[in-house]
Amino acid sequence: MTSAETEPVWPFERTTPLDPPAVFAERRASCPVSKISTWNGDEAWLLTRYDDIRAVLADPGVSSDLTLEGFPEPSATVAAARGGQKNFARMDPPTHDEHRRMLAPDFKVHHVAELRGYMSELVDNLLDRMEERGAPVDLIEMLAQPVPSSVICRILDLPAERSDFFQDRVRTWMSLDNPPQVARQANQDILDYFAQVVDERLEQPGDDLISRMITNQVETGQLSRDELLHILQLLLVGGFDTTANMIALGTLTLLQHPDQLALLKADPSLVNSAVEELLRYLSVAHQVAFRLAVDDIDLGHQCIHAGEGVIAPIAAANRDPEVFADPDTVDITRDARRHVAFGFGLHQCLGQPLARVELQVVFSKLFVRFPDLRLAVSADDLVFRNSIIYGVAELPVGW
Amino acid sequence: MRIEVMPERCIGSGNCVDVAPRYFDQSDADGVVEVLAGDVAAEDEEAVAEAADICPVAAILLSLPSPAR
Repeated sequence: MTSAETEPVWPFERTTPLDPPAVFAERRASCPVSKISTWNGDEAWLLTRYDDIRAVLADPGVSSDLTLEGFPEPSATVAAARGGQKNFARMDPPTHDEHRRMLAPDFKVHHVAELRGYMSELVDNLLDRMEERGAPVDLIEMLAQPVPSSVICRILDLPAERSDFFQDRVRTWMSLDNPPQVARQANQDILDYFAQVVDERLEQPGDDLISRMITNQVETGQLSRDELLHILQLLLVGGFDTTANMIALGTLTLLQHPDQLALLKADPSLVNSAVEELLRYLSVAHQVAFRLAVDDIDLGHQCIHAGEGVIAPIAAANRDPEVFADPDTVDITRDARRHVAFGFGLHQCLGQPLARVELQVVFSKLFVRFPDLRLAVSADDLVFRNSIIYGVAELPVGW
Repeated sequence: MRIEVMPERCIGSGNCVDVAPRYFDQSDADGVVEVLAGDVAAEDEEAVAEAADICPVAAILLSLPSPAR
């Protein structure tokens, strides 16, 4: 029996920095689909099994439209941050599909593969700069942030000197520690910046993604200027902090598992499998996959009714022992490709091919250039970020 | 094993192209799935089955050939 006092309340605390909250495993073993409370006292279903999480995220009976009555939210701040979003991540079909397909060609696997040469050169240059700077350095400042920000700036043709501005606003938007108004303002700043960029590109189009969307979608009437601004906001918040946190936490994970790092050093062909395992193990998108049931959904052992909120944590799916043996163990030789680190269903990450190549390039080079890379502080002194995407504030390293 | 796809469901995640590039591609127009070869060689069945399993919108259907009479 549960009562309001004993019912766990989202978000749950982690007990160890790189593992999901223990509640997921406890519930998975005892009551895999159960009710929990959210910050404002609302109830929502918490899913903990891989199969249930995939089934619900892929079910046409769930909505991502957070303007709907009863939509569950992780916190007041996230509600404010996401409330400012009016893009296809917050839409259902058919508009979701129409908008997403406008962008999908730019994120095609083969199209993104063409950027591998650019990324390889970029990472080499960043590692050169790191060596010149001399140990110790903050890996986030020298590598983890510059890789995704340079790639996004290249795709959108944004000036690299504005990277600090984007970084600051995206981090503010992502943070769970700020008051809602601060998150709302960060969102508005990003939209205002893109409004200016779009006006410039209307005058002087280039061959970047923004210019092409203006020509192909806005000027043909398929997309409003405002819708374009919101799509650009999504590309920025989706592309910046996610990969940066994976680079930082992925490096930390390998440093803390020297046996796994030794395997990777001995056999560089393991890099792709290592990246999938790090994506699974870390599941950095730990405050996503909130949905509202708009139709009844029968999970076989539990029915979720229309109007009820559902939380489908990807970290719970990715640590399900039914799917991944010894799920709390890092094993870069396992086939982890079935993980749902990028989500599942029609909102699965658009930029995943890009993230994969960025991570593959970084982890194929970092430990070759710095074979003796190590933490320059005690792991106990690291500060982890309370953010929509999980991360570490600084990662001081030496070599 | 034979591949059928439902392009109307596809959201262009590219998972199938990533794990079974000999069988799947994405259109230039909207990134939606295209089948390069419908009949799967025995040695590729595992990769194609994985592509179908990880497709986030279940847009890939696999059928086994009818048994010979």
